[in-house]
Parts: sequence; C-alpha cells; structure tokens
Amino acid sequence: MLKNLLLGNLSVEAIPFDAPIILGADLFMGMIFFGVLFSITFYKKWSYIWHEWVTSVDHKKIGIMYLILSFVMLLRGFSDAILMRSQQAVAAGHSAGFLPPEHYDQIFSAHGVIMIFFVAMPFMFGLINIALPLQIGARDVAYPYLNSLSFWLTFVGAMLCNASLVLGRFAETGWLAYPTLSELYYSPGVGVDYYIWSLQIAGVGTTLGGINFIATIFRMRCPGMTFFKMPIFTWSVLCAMILVALAFPVLTATLALLTLDRVFGMHFFTDFAGGNNMMYINLIWAWGHPEVYILILPAFGIFSEVVATFSQKRLFGYTTMVWAMAIITFLSFVVWVHHFFTMGAGADVNAFFGIATMVIAVPTGVKVFNWLFTMYKGRIILDTPMLWVSAFFTTFAIGGMTGVMLAIPPVDFQLHNSLFLVAHFHNVIIGGVLFGYFAGAIYWFPKMFGFKLDEKWGKWSFYFWVIGFYVAFMPLYVLGLNGGMRRLNHYENTLYQPYFIIAAIGMVLIFIGIIMQIIQLFVSIKNRAALRDKTGDPWNGRTLEWSVSSPPPIYNFATVPTVSVIDQLWENKEQHQQESKVKLNLHSEYTPIHMPKNTAMGFIIAMFAGLTGFAIIWHMWIPGIVGFVGVLVSVIARTFETKIDYYIDAETVKKTELNYIKGII
Amino acid sequence: MLAKMYGIYLMLRVALGRLLKLSLMILTCVAICSLAGCDIESLGMLNPKGIVAFEERKILFDTLALMLIVVLPVIVMSITFVYHYKQSHRIRDYKPRWSHSYFLESLWWGIPCAIIVVLAIITWKETHRLDPYQRLAGHPQKPMLVQAIALPWKWLFIYPEQGIATVNYLQIPVGEQVEYWITADNVAMSAFFIPQLGSQIYAMTGMRTRLHLLANEVGIYEGLNTQYNGEGFSDMNFKVEVVTPQQFKAWVEKIKKSPLLLNDANYQILLKPSINEKPAFYSNVKKDFFDNVVQLYLHTYGTIHPRQTNVTHGKE
Repeated sequence: MLKNLLLGNLSVEAIPFDAPIILGADLFMGMIFFGVLFSITFYKKWSYIWHEWVTSVDHKKIGIMYLILSFVMLLRGFSDAILMRSQQAVAAGHSAGFLPPEHYDQIFSAHGVIMIFFVAMPFMFGLINIALPLQIGARDVAYPYLNSLSFWLTFVGAMLCNASLVLGRFAETGWLAYPTLSELYYSPGVGVDYYIWSLQIAGVGTTLGGINFIATIFRMRCPGMTFFKMPIFTWSVLCAMILVALAFPVLTATLALLTLDRVFGMHFFTDFAGGNNMMYINLIWAWGHPEVYILILPAFGIFSEVVATFSQKRLFGYTTMVWAMAIITFLSFVVWVHHFFTMGAGADVNAFFGIATMVIAVPTGVKVFNWLFTMYKGRIILDTPMLWVSAFFTTFAIGGMTGVMLAIPPVDFQLHNSLFLVAHFHNVIIGGVLFGYFAGAIYWFPKMFGFKLDEKWGKWSFYFWVIGFYVAFMPLYVLGLNGGMRRLNHYENTLYQPYFIIAAIGMVLIFIGIIMQIIQLFVSIKNRAALRDKTGDPWNGRTLEWSVSSPPPIYNFATVPTVSVIDQLWENKEQHQQESKVKLNLHSEYTPIHMPKNTAMGFIIAMFAGLTGFAIIWHMWIPGIVGFVGVLVSVIARTFETKIDYYIDAETVKKTELNYIKGII
Repeated sequence: MLAKMYGIYLMLRVALGRLLKLSLMILTCVAICSLAGCDIESLGMLNPKGIVAFEERKILFDTLALMLIVVLPVIVMSITFVYHYKQSHRIRDYKPRWSHSYFLESLWWGIPCAIIVVLAIITWKETHRLDPYQRLAGHPQKPMLVQAIALPWKWLFIYPEQGIATVNYLQIPVGEQVEYWITADNVAMSAFFIPQLGSQIYAMTGMRTRLHLLANEVGIYEGLNTQYNGEGFSDMNFKVEVVTPQQFKAWVEKIKKSPLLLNDANYQILLKPSINEKPAFYSNVKKDFFDNVVQLYLHTYGTIHPRQTNVTHGKE
C-alpha cells in the first residue's frame, strides 16, 4: 500500500532494457549528465553555478541559460530527425526498416514536441531576454524573479520530456496528441502523461514569461521612447507576447481537460458518453495556430534589425512594419480551422477560414518587400547574420506560397496530412523561424559574451544548413504531390524511395552544418582574444543595446538613456561620430543603482512542479501531494520575503564604466 | 518617381540576365527529374482519375501561377539586391536615410491585396462547388451509397443497397457518382482518402462524415488512411478497383453469394487490432449496420468504452 502510494506504477520494468537504441540513447544521455555533474564537482564550481547562474535573476544570464537549453534540446530533436529520415530511406516495399512502429511513433511525436516547445520557444525567450531590456534602455525585466521562474519551469518541462526516454515511454500520438488516440482507452501507458505534464509545466512558464515581457515593454521603456519609437524587434516581441498571454492559457486549459479525462475518467474528448474529440482539435489549434506566429514574429523582428544594421540604412517603412505585425497578430486568432478542413465543416466555414488564412499573406508579403527595400540603396555587409537573412527570403517565399496553396480547402482536401504539408511547415519554421534565430544568435553573441563568433566556420555551417535544407525538404513536396503521407513507418511504393534517400542526404548535410556550428563555437572561444568586442558595438548597431559594453554590466545602463528618435544610437553616432559614444557614457556623476537580489525561489518552485508532474505521470500520490504543497508553500513564502533588492553604490558603477571607456580609448 | 521605377527596372533586367544561367541549370535538373517522374505512375493529385481530383489539381496550378506573381520577384530581388548593393561593390547610390515611399508601399500593399481578392473569390466559389457533402455539379441524380468504417487498422466498406460488404477492397463503377458515409469503430480518428479520385475526409467514432466522388477511368487505385491513428497506421491501405457498370453488377451478384456473413461474431473479429488484412467479402449485410455502429457511441454512458469489454487496445 505504502509502496504503491510512494512509487505508483513506477518499477524497474519502466527502463527499456529490451530496446537497444533507446537504451543506447539513455546511456549516452546519462554519460553527459553525470559528466557535467562530475566536472562541476571536480573544478569546484558548484558555488559559482548556484550563485551566478541558478539563482540569478539577471535577464542576460537567464537568456544565456535559455539558449543553452535550446541548443542541447536541438541536438536531441535532431537525433530524432536522423532516425526518422534513415528509417524512411530504407523502409520501402517489403522492408520494415529498423524501427518498429512503437518506437517510430514515439520518435516523431517527441521530435515535434521538442522542436517546438524546447528548441524554438527557449531559443526565442533566450534572445528576447538578452536583447529586449537592453533595447528599451531598461536595467532588467519588470519581474526578474518571475523571469527566473519561467526559465526553470521550461527547463523542468524539457527534463520531464527527456525522462520519458529513460523511464517509461513518450506519447505515440503525434505532437498535438489528438484524442481519441490520446485517451486512456487507446493510449493506456505513461506516454501521453509525460506529454501532458512536460507541456503543462513548460506552458505555465511561457505564459508567465509572456506576461512579464508585456509588462516590461509597457512599463520599463526609457524616457522618450514612445511606442512608435521602439526598436522593431521590441514591437515584434510585444505582438508575440500578447499572443502568448492570450493563447497559452488555452493550451493549459485544454491539457487540463485531457488530464481529467485520463486520470479521473471524465468525458470531455472521449467520443462517447457525451465526449467529443472535435472539441480538443479546435481548442488545441486555437492555441496552436497563434503559437506558430509567436515563433515567427520575433524572427521577423530580428530580420528587421539585422537587415537595417547590415545594410547600414534605416529600416524601410517602419510604421507599415508595425501595422503589418499588428494585423498578423489579430488574424492569427481567426484561422485555426485551416488545420482541419477535412473534418467535415460546411463550405461556408471552410471558405471563411481559408480566405482569412490567405489574408495573412498580405501583411507578411508587405514585410518582405520592406526588408528588400531596406537593402535597396544600402551598403550591405555580408556577415553571417546577414547571410542567414538573405537565405531566408527565398525559403520563406516558397514556404509562404505553399502555405497559401494549402489554405484553399479543395487543395487541402488533397494535400492535408501529406508530406507536402510537412515540407511546408518545415519550410517556414526552419527557413523562417530558425534562420531568423540563428541570425539573432550570431548578431547578439558579442553582446552576450564579449566576443564575436568566428566568421569562416559560421559561413561554412550556413552553406551546409541552407543547401541541406533544400535537399532535405524539396523532395518532400514532390512526394506529397504524389500521394506520400506523413508519419509513415514504412511504405509499399518503392518509387518513393529515391526521394526519401535524397531527403536523408539533406539531413546529413544539415548534420554537418550543426557540427560546424559546434566547431565554430569552440574556435571562437579559443580565439576570443582576437575576436574581442571592446567597443560594445561590433556591427555599427542602431539600437540602445549597442551603446553599452559587451557583455553589459549587471545594471546595463549606468545612467538611463533618453530617446527622441527611432534608431537613437545610430543618430547619435551620425551626429557626433565616435566621441558621442564616450560622452554618452562619461558622466561625471553616478548615482547608486537599484537592483533585484538573486533568489533560489524560481528554481525551487520549478523543482517542486517537476516533482508534481512526475508523480502524477506515475500515479505516485504521496510525492505528488508533497510536490503540490511544495509549490504552494514556496510561492507563499516568497511573498513574505522582504529583502528582495539592493543598491549598487555609485563608486562601483563609476569604476566599471571607467574601465569600459578605457578599453575603447 | 518614373526615374525610380526605371532604376528598378534596369536592375531587374541585369538580375534576370544573371538569373537566366542559374535558372537554365535548375530547369535542366527539373526536366531530368520530371522525365524520370514520367515513368512513375503518380499515385497522388498530379495524376487525377476522378472529376474531383481533376478540379483540385486545376485549382492547385491556378494558385501556383497567381502566387508566383509575387514570389518570383521576391526571390529575384532578394538575390540581386544583396549582390548589387554589397559594400565591396562600392555602389555610389547610397541613401541611408531613405526609408519611406507612399508610392512603393501602396504598391506592395495593393498588388498582394488584388491577388488575394482574386484568390478569395476562387476559394469561395470552389469550396462551395467542391464541398464533399454536396452532390457533384452536373450530377443531381441520387448517387450510389457506400458506407466506410475505419477499423483498427483496416477498412470495412458496406454497400447497403446491394446488401454486401468488403474489407480493404473497394469496387465502384466508372462514371457513376458515389456517395460515401464515413465513420470509425474502435480506432482513433482516421481519414478516408483515394488521392487519384479526390478529397479526403476524417472518420470519427460516433460521427458520420460524407464525401462524393466520381471516377472517370477504369483502373486500380490506392486508397489509404492519412490520419495517424496508432501502430498499424502505415498499413491501413486498401485497393480501389474502378470497373464498368456491367462488371460491377456481375461482381455484386458474385459477392451476394459469398458464404461469409457480416454478423456479430464476424464483426467482433474485425474489431480486433490487426494489420495487412487480405480483402474479404461479406453477404447478407443488414441495411442499418452502419447506423448501429454510429449510434453505439452516442448511446454509451458511464466510463466503459463501448468496445472495451471484448477488445483491448494498446499495451501496458
């Protein structure tokens, strides 16, 4: 009885001893995990990690942690892609390939979940954390402790998702876990529960993050920065975060209803006793469609910043850009039905949602033209961030075009669930979102670490990624038009095989690209002295983040800047050339700076939340209650904390600033 | 303004020249690929054999053409602008403050809007014309009825008017409109799809969806499930044989004599999860068989899944 309450359904059998591939992955993951723990202990860095990172509320450090999480999960998600592509390259005709359906189904489900929730989302929040407060001249986000909590909740979600590889199994339902497949009757194992709880916990983190950045943008802008003088990236983040705050609660509620079905035998989506799966599909896409715009909007912001900076020219049509994003934000909520035209809704409904979807192409197209004409009559410096942007135009144009094609219901009746669809959304998510984030990561890398990334390796990785992308996904368009469906474990028609083999070659090219990015990172760290960014403005930037040192001091701005135009920094530089920059920072008088204190509460709450999730997955009721009470108590305890801030004295500020200025001169 | 336009035009001309080489190369590649593709009997929408699929392919091509009006210039401009205005080319024409033009901006709000208006009209019209629930335009007479039930992981087709049923095999007469009623039993949401004949529609337990198709050519086609619904998903295919009406009549008569009956016992076997079922043929099928399957889910209360007592799904 007690054992049951403590351990629930968890037993040694949960470890997949019978599956060599998964066990191998487990051992590999375990080795890395314990390797990291060992080296931290060996170099006696526990205190440093705890005080400088885990408990940190500094937005720059939280941003870096998001990026690390995202990159590690990218490797995991990409391993899934390798497995899928190789399986499909061999499993033609009578061959069953090397992955049985039960593994393969977990792999494509995990691939989708990981790439969206634990690669793209943390990547986005990482870049936002690093750049946004600096761009608006703020010293931190509005709620620094909430920021730390958001990160650790996302982290815990990702770890739960990884835990499913070691203990039990992951969902075999596809990345959105449609009922009735995800109901207890069809999926009795722990897989769907892992899915639910990793998303639920990470999702709460994301919602809090969204609210935090909305508040930051509304309340923390420096004097003079009215809404229409905000950098365009800030605008894009504002739009995306409004979407987060409105859409993520829908996800949370939907998953909660599914949990009630699974754990308490209720009937929201069961298709009998009054349940209806169509409700779930509507709800999940009411979140899911805004979600893709949550990802792409900040990428749009990054493109705008990078294009303007590297063309050494003002962003074309700033106002139009803002309104285009606002329209996209609104429209993204009225198109969700285009994900299931084949459900049998009437022609009026389908036509409405089809047309609403196409309308989004207009503001998106306008943005593309504005970027193109930002380059027109500019002086383009083709550094790696700009290279990613230039590749984005073509990939995104193709992806957008196929998107509009899919938006027409009669065409969708043919291409729904086909590889054409798979090619389309990889086309926009890799060619749009990921390329944008890569551009952003390289662009802001010197701001994070104080040195630039190596250009040579960056360019090589770029070429491999882009060529690999085309080789991997163009064959899928052809396959889709010829009747090839997604999620196939094997297929009878051997004529498909050559295309799948080409796609697998593309995957290898992308893999080489990723390896080169890792090499690029190591080479850059090795040559960091030569790549050092002394001025804090390595790209001749236009916005405030480039007016401070790289990396910025913990307080960001010694004196809060004032803004009177868009691209204030660039204007200053135009007017006074380099001296102004020194002037901007060289103030005779410094005042003490009010800063938030580090806190372990975010970490602690997230760990309790993780325990709760893990316990419910395995029906371990005692740990579940402990975890839940732990969350409640820690949240309440934090509200009684009074020593949450401190002052950096003027003398320290002065010393730091003088050091920076000496470095420039 | 005109000078500006002329400048853009000149640039585009240079760009087109440069692109010509590239596009020739690409075209050669595509040509080789499609020549190879000619041998492939495409099983998808590019090789339609039914009236609906023909229409849908036409819309696909129309949309593609309309979209290329915007997409091609974007691709051309993105390559040429990046190339032309590279800093190393030391172009004198540098306007760092030029960031607004009513004319240009209204151009690229206007042209995409116009295209989308055209597309929207096409979409509205075609969506209504090709609504899977409606009889095909020009075919107002009562169609033949086939009821499809998605089972784990196979398809059962019932011909209620003929009193016969088949598993994983569908035979239909050429040139005749067929109405499909679609549901699922003991399997998660699936989708009924014969790519070369036309649209796909979901199959859901406790629900009836509908579809109208018409085959133009005699032949054997692929039918499949497109919606992932568990382990046996990849094998949930069926053969569709389109035959002449005479052949169809003869076939029906033959199946009517089949000793296999679609009774409770035999249906219980079908409800068990299995893959790669060989085609099977049943006679003496009750007219309300399909309705009963749908109704079962609507009239089951409590926590026990209607099929839980006799069949188990998944594994622990």
